[in-house]
Amino acid sequence: MEPLDLELEEGELELPAEPMHLNMGPSHPAMHGTVRIVLELSGETIVKADVQIGYLHRGFEKMCERGTWAQVFPYADRLNYVSPMLNNVGYALAVEKLCGIVVPDRCQWYRMALGELARISDHLTCTGAMAMELGAFTPFLWFLKAREMIWDIMEEETGARLTHSFGRIGGVAKPPSDGFKDLCRGALPRILDLVEEGEKMLLKNRIFIDRLENVGIISGADALALSWTGPCLRASGVAYDIRKSHPYLKYDEVDFDVPVGGRGDNMDRFLVRLAEIRQSRRIVEQSLDRMADSGPVNVDDPRVMLPEKSEVYTTIEGTIQHFKLIMEGAKVPAGEVYSYTEGGNGELGFYLVSDGSGTPYRVRIRPPCFPITAGLSKLISGRMLSDIVPTFGSLNMIGGECDH
Amino acid sequence: MPTFKYDGVEIPFEAGETIIQAAARQGIEIPHYCWHPGLSAPANCRMCLVEIMPAANQRAVTLDILEWDAALGDYKPAKKPKLQPACQMAAADGMDVRGDTSHHVKDARKQVQEFLLLNHPVDCPICDQSGECKLQDYWLEHGQYHKRMRDEPIHKPKAVEFGPTIVYDAERCVMCTRCIRFMDEVAQDPVLDMRERGNLNEIMVAPGRQLDGHYTFMTEHVCPVGALTTKDFRFKARVWFLRTADTVCQGCATGCSAHLDYDPRVNRAYRYRPRENAEVNKYWMCDEGMLTYRAAHEGRIIEPRIGSKVASEKKALAAAAAALEGAAAEHLAVVFSAQHSLEDNWALRELGVTLLGAKNLYVSGLPDGYEDKILIHRDKNPNTRGVAEIAADARPFADLLRDVGSGKITHVMALGGATPGVPEADAEVLRRAQVVTVAAHEGGLSLSARVVLPACSWAEASGTYVNFKRIRQVTEKALEPQGASAPGWEQLAHLGRAMGLDASWTRVKQIRAQLQAAAPAVTSARGAALPTTEVAQ
Repeated sequence: MEPLDLELEEGELELPAEPMHLNMGPSHPAMHGTVRIVLELSGETIVKADVQIGYLHRGFEKMCERGTWAQVFPYADRLNYVSPMLNNVGYALAVEKLCGIVVPDRCQWYRMALGELARISDHLTCTGAMAMELGAFTPFLWFLKAREMIWDIMEEETGARLTHSFGRIGGVAKPPSDGFKDLCRGALPRILDLVEEGEKMLLKNRIFIDRLENVGIISGADALALSWTGPCLRASGVAYDIRKSHPYLKYDEVDFDVPVGGRGDNMDRFLVRLAEIRQSRRIVEQSLDRMADSGPVNVDDPRVMLPEKSEVYTTIEGTIQHFKLIMEGAKVPAGEVYSYTEGGNGELGFYLVSDGSGTPYRVRIRPPCFPITAGLSKLISGRMLSDIVPTFGSLNMIGGECDH
Repeated sequence: MPTFKYDGVEIPFEAGETIIQAAARQGIEIPHYCWHPGLSAPANCRMCLVEIMPAANQRAVTLDILEWDAALGDYKPAKKPKLQPACQMAAADGMDVRGDTSHHVKDARKQVQEFLLLNHPVDCPICDQSGECKLQDYWLEHGQYHKRMRDEPIHKPKAVEFGPTIVYDAERCVMCTRCIRFMDEVAQDPVLDMRERGNLNEIMVAPGRQLDGHYTFMTEHVCPVGALTTKDFRFKARVWFLRTADTVCQGCATGCSAHLDYDPRVNRAYRYRPRENAEVNKYWMCDEGMLTYRAAHEGRIIEPRIGSKVASEKKALAAAAAALEGAAAEHLAVVFSAQHSLEDNWALRELGVTLLGAKNLYVSGLPDGYEDKILIHRDKNPNTRGVAEIAADARPFADLLRDVGSGKITHVMALGGATPGVPEADAEVLRRAQVVTVAAHEGGLSLSARVVLPACSWAEASGTYVNFKRIRQVTEKALEPQGASAPGWEQLAHLGRAMGLDASWTRVKQIRAQLQAAAPAVTSARGAALPTTEVAQ
């Protein structure tokens, strides 16, 4: 055993301590997706945190560059897999921008309604999971119960609960079902009731509040410098929402507010998400009111739209159109485009390059999680070990999106 | 050079050229079905119609038509310019031709497309042309309409056997008459014609005849749609799974430029398509040549052999070295192969002549056969001229048989399996000597060989071939080497090293550099033929 150094200044006895290295993840229940944080601890205080992504790597962008333009949709679903509809719509809008296509109004409202439902499900998952990781299991179940209702609607509309692959270049896979509006109008109040109940359970809980308040603080300027977007940025007081700043679809025609936080701590991020759920509800309701019950959903453009199956099986023109679109892919005009939408976590951007063929020449994704995760070590350095879980939870990092 | 304008682009042309020819030379494709650069222009498909603006001092020729007015809900009289077929219209200096920029032309293309598809069957899923069909391409580029005719389409004969090689489907036919013109103008055998008119129009074979001869496959290849299919390729592969390598036909000394279509998933060649080469084969190939793609898989040697037993590569090399051990230079024969590439033959010369000092050089290959005045050459080997370049003093194969018979030759180091005679009979004589051969295909030499080392065929390794006109062409690698085969020059290097010799070549680049230095002719990089200044014999 090493001799104790007794010649300390002021005669104070201090135990010799080396910084302790701790691997958190990549397989840790609180490390959503597969992230590894290499921590350097002094006692329980984090001296240094090295956040490492890349344990979930599918070569997402390269996969997209192998198939046709339409075959990217299933991949886009798997970016942020708790709000796949937002990714689908984001990618569809990018390709449509390149093709110069504007989808009919009915489809725009439909995409908005589905997208905002997806946003609610995204925020419910994030806030619910964060509460659960802090030991609050009941609100998690409450929130998931609400999310189930959304997924039931999604299943009714798209046939799939999670990865819908519902977007199409120039529209969506199917027109809204007959009962879509009633389903939404019936489910939304119940979802909000559940959110309210879950919220009550949490916001009166001392432990929960203590672990969130004044933890993981980031200023608006710092968040911007890290190119944060979405609820995490707004929690720091910057009212930047693409739906308001650069409206797409019909967002400029609906009435909704952009909730912002003040301190930029975990609590603000939690509250901003809950407030956004309420705003999303307003958008869904307005979209439902304004969406026509009949009329075309998809553009009538044989360059990109698949023909009706009845046409495919009975006419040579339909067969050829189907064959060309499936085998060679829709020919997207040569050029490049950057198109961005408000995803569940912020700015979801697609930078696409076309060489005029049926296959994307380059697909580059700007996932909102990537810069946000890059800020994690700044948020937790100097904090206690136990602060990692609520802070990481409040950022809502999604592994699929961070695939770079 | 005079020029005309097509959609505002200046296009130079030579006197007598048509608009479509001059545009094609500039890389601008005016849509067409019936026009083929190697055939006459009947202008019957009407797909290449263009609008030619009247000269300043001329009045426009217009036609009175009735045009549908959706707002009015009725037809109203209108005027339309008289469009001209670009395939027949001779270009004139200063002509202003409109294609994509004229809505009349666009309408015409769409309507022609609609007309051609009026009675077309819903066959894409079972049609061999699907994926390389002009009807499909042009529908997307120029059609994009939905079917208006709701009547039952006219049904015509399907799967009509035209002869031993070709099957005809009248419903898919667009009556471009390319096949008729090909048989008439190129094959010089006017055996095809058309009968009936309008909806009932169809191609027929002359009564009492069938579509046979040496150029039937070409009728399928000039067919812009799936009306003519070859029995050989029918239902064998889907074209979108095939990849293409530029290659050279191995059927005879003409060395036609060809595309070799293969499926990389199963490492199999499926067909040849002629590759345009004005110096060699223009746009055409013969039936026998088209079928030589099969040689990539048939009659192949893909495993090393000692005697008749398959052996490991290591053992085979050791056995080969042992077989040639102690062969005196005056009793050693080096047998070049007119079936193998220049690179393989070069390596054999390095090994046999430079390193072993052999003096007795021979050349083997397949025997002569049918020839005609169109494409087919009497010599059935693709590289006879190449061997003559490599080994000018190589003697014919008959001399080898005589020398082995007389005991003058006791050891044979050979390339290739093929011999001009009956394989078994040639092998019988050759067995008196110790034969080692590096071969891609079975033949008299491989049958008699003490050791056979497997070489890549032309489909599996890039190689240079010199045709009878001394035009050099380089083939691209298509398939992955099958079994234990390796390029012939590489196998020869292995053999040299197994014999303890300094066989230093390891890359095809080195060999090409040597060949380049030795021969004045330029070896083209991507297989396009570059003729030498020498004139054919």
